[in-house]
Amino acid sequence: MKDNPYLPQLARIVTIKEEVGGSRPIKSFRMQLLNGHRFDFKCGQCAMISVLGKGESMISISSSPLERDYLQFSVLKMGRVTSALHEMEQGSIVGLRGPYGNGFPLEQWTGKNLIFIGGGIGLAPIWSVLQTALRQQNDYGQLSLFYGARTSSDLVFKDELRKLKDTLPVYLSIDVEEPGWTEFVGFVPQNVADKKPSPDNAIAITCGPPIMIKFVIKTIQELGFQDNQIYTTVENKMKCGIGKCGRCNIGPHYICKDGPVYSWAKLKTLPQEY
Amino acid sequence: MEKILKKSDLGKWVGKLSAFDCYAPTKENDHWEFNQVTYLDSLPEDYTQVNVPLKKVVLPNREVLFNFEDNRNGGPHIQEVLPEEKEVVVFGVRGCDARGVALLSKIFSESSPDIYFERRKNQLYVVGLSCYPLPGDNCFCLSVGGGPFSTQGMDILLSDIGRKYFVEVLTPKGEKLVELGWEFFAEPNDQDRQDRLRREKKAQEMFNLEIHEAEKKAGVLHHLFEDKIWKTESFRCLKCGICTYLCPTCHCFDIADELASPVPLQGKRVRVWDTCQFPDFTMHSSGHNPRPDKSSRLRQRIMHKFLYFVETYGEIMCTGCGRCVSKCPVGIDIVNILNRVESHEG
Repeated sequence: MKDNPYLPQLARIVTIKEEVGGSRPIKSFRMQLLNGHRFDFKCGQCAMISVLGKGESMISISSSPLERDYLQFSVLKMGRVTSALHEMEQGSIVGLRGPYGNGFPLEQWTGKNLIFIGGGIGLAPIWSVLQTALRQQNDYGQLSLFYGARTSSDLVFKDELRKLKDTLPVYLSIDVEEPGWTEFVGFVPQNVADKKPSPDNAIAITCGPPIMIKFVIKTIQELGFQDNQIYTTVENKMKCGIGKCGRCNIGPHYICKDGPVYSWAKLKTLPQEY
Repeated sequence: MEKILKKSDLGKWVGKLSAFDCYAPTKENDHWEFNQVTYLDSLPEDYTQVNVPLKKVVLPNREVLFNFEDNRNGGPHIQEVLPEEKEVVVFGVRGCDARGVALLSKIFSESSPDIYFERRKNQLYVVGLSCYPLPGDNCFCLSVGGGPFSTQGMDILLSDIGRKYFVEVLTPKGEKLVELGWEFFAEPNDQDRQDRLRREKKAQEMFNLEIHEAEKKAGVLHHLFEDKIWKTESFRCLKCGICTYLCPTCHCFDIADELASPVPLQGKRVRVWDTCQFPDFTMHSSGHNPRPDKSSRLRQRIMHKFLYFVETYGEIMCTGCGRCVSKCPVGIDIVNILNRVESHEG
């Protein structure tokens, strides 16, 4: 089976948590391989989830590789496959193949301050890094998190965020004013500009809607971050996951194998086709 | 290894290859395709070029990857479907198509090997036919690293030198085919070698089309990402995708599920040819599209072949077969475009 890169392994959905309701629902699915094997991966890598009969979707893994009991995927209901996944129940069986992509170079970040900047569902891939860094806090400097969404109900991992505030600075934001909201109102880049994180010995890791990433990068560059201190992930449509089907091709790169994680120093040399 | 095969002995040799599925160019109405044959007495004199290139043998336009169904316990079960174990000999393959499969191997075999492609490629024996005269008005293989007598990607090359074929046996697979009918092969003499060489030289002088300094286009294209030529040249594109479907090196595909029954679950996962020329090829489920217009898609087709692939593999991903030029219903011409971008340099 291992020689065939297109063959998924079967996995069971062990828990489903509704993160966000309403018209843009997000659910977190925790999964275990049926064969009891571990699914080894690096922070920032993705897996192809099969809902048999509907197709496949490439989803970033939001749990830490140090978490041995399950893999977590936090999925926005969007297309055919993610809608079918949202219909599934605890105990349902899906297919998994991967992991795909390069992952974040955590080994290069030892001793550095890590500033996580997420928007909407874009918190999912950086959540894996954050959870890993939290478990190995002695290896890194100060951790901090900026996270925003359209409304307070659109924020994912609400319970975890509340607890996280005891451990590290968490700067939340929502796009428009709401009764009872005491934190920042405005877009994520504005919140970052307001708090002015220092670029000294720091790495900024950002993921979110393309427009947010663009302005986050502009903002932190103005704060003095160099191109090689800024990391982001690029998402393009994918089918094969192994650099063959041509869909996620940007210049000589295939996002599924050469990405999805890029330093801005690298990403700015590629055509802007993402 | 070089041999001589009398044309009248071709059928006898092919008769010895009964363990293989043999394919040869056959005429379908007004065009040629590779079809399975039970005998092959001769390669047709008026044969030019098949419509669908050899890539269909290693990357079929529709291929089942696996079947899935609910098993008795209610959970799904996946059953891998691999290509049939059957060795295939294709006769009459032109140099451009054989090179196409060789270039595809770089993508499908070198990293994360594609087991379906690999198995089909390993079972494929390519018996080429050199091009004299040239098969088409739009041939330009000579300017993109090939040639009318190119052997890349072939196991045997046959060259017509009158009443006999000059036979170049290029690989162990080729030797195996020749050994099965060894009694029909003779040693070539100096005259045979001269005849072959003379025809190759003549063929090389017959080209109407060339991409001028094609190997230098990567350096030029590098500066032309935002050029207006993509918009002006793609304006009349109908988004039919024929330029990519019939290209010997285009290999983009889609993976989709075909459902026979939702409950109990039963279906197949298939891969089918797809093309970067379709608007929804790159469209995210959010509706965002990184290549939203015809100009960015034409640019992708040409940049992939003449810049991106060159950066990765050091070769041009075009074999000069001329199909995209001949078959485009609105005359979008990669040769013309690439010859014009010269003047954009600097």
